[in-house]
Amino acid sequence: MNVHTLPASRCPRCHRLVVPPARLCPDHPVTMEAATVPNIGEVVSFTTLHSPPEGFKAPLHIALVELDGGARLFCHGEETKGIRIGSSVGVESLDRVFYFSHMGFADRARLFWRRAGARGEKVASITKSVVQGIWRGRSSGDS
Amino acid sequence: MNQVWIAGAGMTRFGRRDETLPDLMAEAALSALADAMIEQPDGLVVAAMNPEEFTGAGNYGSLINTHLGLSHVPALRVETATSSGVAAVYTAFAAIASGLHKTVLVVGGEKMSHMATPRVSEIIGRSIDPHERSYGTTMPALAGLITRAAMHRRGLTLREISQVAVKNHANGARNHLAHFQEAVTLEAVMESRLVADPLRLFHCCPISDGAAAIVMTAEPAEVRIAGIGQGTDTIAMRYRSDLTAFVATQTAAQAAYRMAGFGPERVEVAEIHDAFAPFEIISLEDTGLIPPGKAGRATLEGETALDGRLPINTSGGLKARGHPLAGTGIAQIVELCWQLRGMAAGRQVQAQVALAHSIGGLATNNWVTLLEARR
Repeated sequence: MNVHTLPASRCPRCHRLVVPPARLCPDHPVTMEAATVPNIGEVVSFTTLHSPPEGFKAPLHIALVELDGGARLFCHGEETKGIRIGSSVGVESLDRVFYFSHMGFADRARLFWRRAGARGEKVASITKSVVQGIWRGRSSGDS
Repeated sequence: MNQVWIAGAGMTRFGRRDETLPDLMAEAALSALADAMIEQPDGLVVAAMNPEEFTGAGNYGSLINTHLGLSHVPALRVETATSSGVAAVYTAFAAIASGLHKTVLVVGGEKMSHMATPRVSEIIGRSIDPHERSYGTTMPALAGLITRAAMHRRGLTLREISQVAVKNHANGARNHLAHFQEAVTLEAVMESRLVADPLRLFHCCPISDGAAAIVMTAEPAEVRIAGIGQGTDTIAMRYRSDLTAFVATQTAAQAAYRMAGFGPERVEVAEIHDAFAPFEIISLEDTGLIPPGKAGRATLEGETALDGRLPINTSGGLKARGHPLAGTGIAQIVELCWQLRGMAAGRQVQAQVALAHSIGGLATNNWVTLLEARR
């Protein structure tokens, strides 16, 4: 995975960092400044939700990760096998959603479709019908 | 500041109920008014967390005052998520302490068992930070994160957590108004299905319907509100530096003890917000009732059982009495009034001072109330 930075906000008064960026510090009514944080950190805690809410599929792996520098963020993950509190993980943002662990492109794509749920299935069925259409067109041209 | 007393208490049976929310609230309110021997209060405060979503009706202050035949009585609706009931008690407390009102009826409740569980879960989950909710976090998911962190950092064991559910079910079996009136074994709790790893089904409170009410007065009655305190924390869990203690409870407890002029050492019975079993252990320490790091072991050794040194959740708690959201904080106070007045048949303990602890949202808006029997 790539080591890069994620957009964040920093409170000019208490120097607290938050991800994703926010306008005001949660502890002071002060406008925060734009900042960046590295996309690597440690697992604070994690769970696997077996009865997720509407729009998500079980099992849903959720982790709270503390990035280097102190900002914490919620992430999805493909699995929690081998993950422990304190484990070092990388965080990638895909379609504005954070995912933890070391993931290849195939893993990220799979996660994207799983999270997309009904929307993903719709896109997949459209793709399928377009492909079938092209295939049928080619077949009729041949005959 | 005027002293504030509780002159009457009443609640419905909690569980799956066919009645409408206004009917449940009326049942609890009329029972509290009868107990106080008062027909007309000068104020009404109603607590309901998500009545628009669950019942399709709004404007609950006016809906309930008219339903009760008290349409001329000034009515408010108050909301702080799952601790809304105590927020309503606090509103009435402020009105009486300041001299604005002499007698205020407080009623809270929720009606939700008619909806499918995923839908109820989603509606309750609206009290979570929207960004975090976009990750599919629900109350059980956040509680699962907290539980794992507490086991890791505080050495809390699954056995200790499970014993909370066993104890509260045993108490609920003695409460004819409880949602669950059956005992459960430690094995059954530890082997129930996983909900949000490491939390299992029997570590979580049920979806309950019900309502509870109290009548608060400036006139001395049998129970006095000695102290009431509120504490808050960030709605976003990612903004908190520690998952294993609730700052909102600690702040609320300090404020309540300061108002009462005494500390946790005088508390002899308490109702603690055990929406998830580990929360009872965490909250016993946050309120100072049990020293840090000792509450898990105390639970396992029976210190918090009905016949223990400090009985906790004699009603059965949220786990067994049930958790109709905005009804819960008031139901805790109803139970403690009955304990202080010697009316808790079948589960009576000896106590002069009691503590109620209520969590709003995922510990974003918590309350601690101290009650004292009139001497």
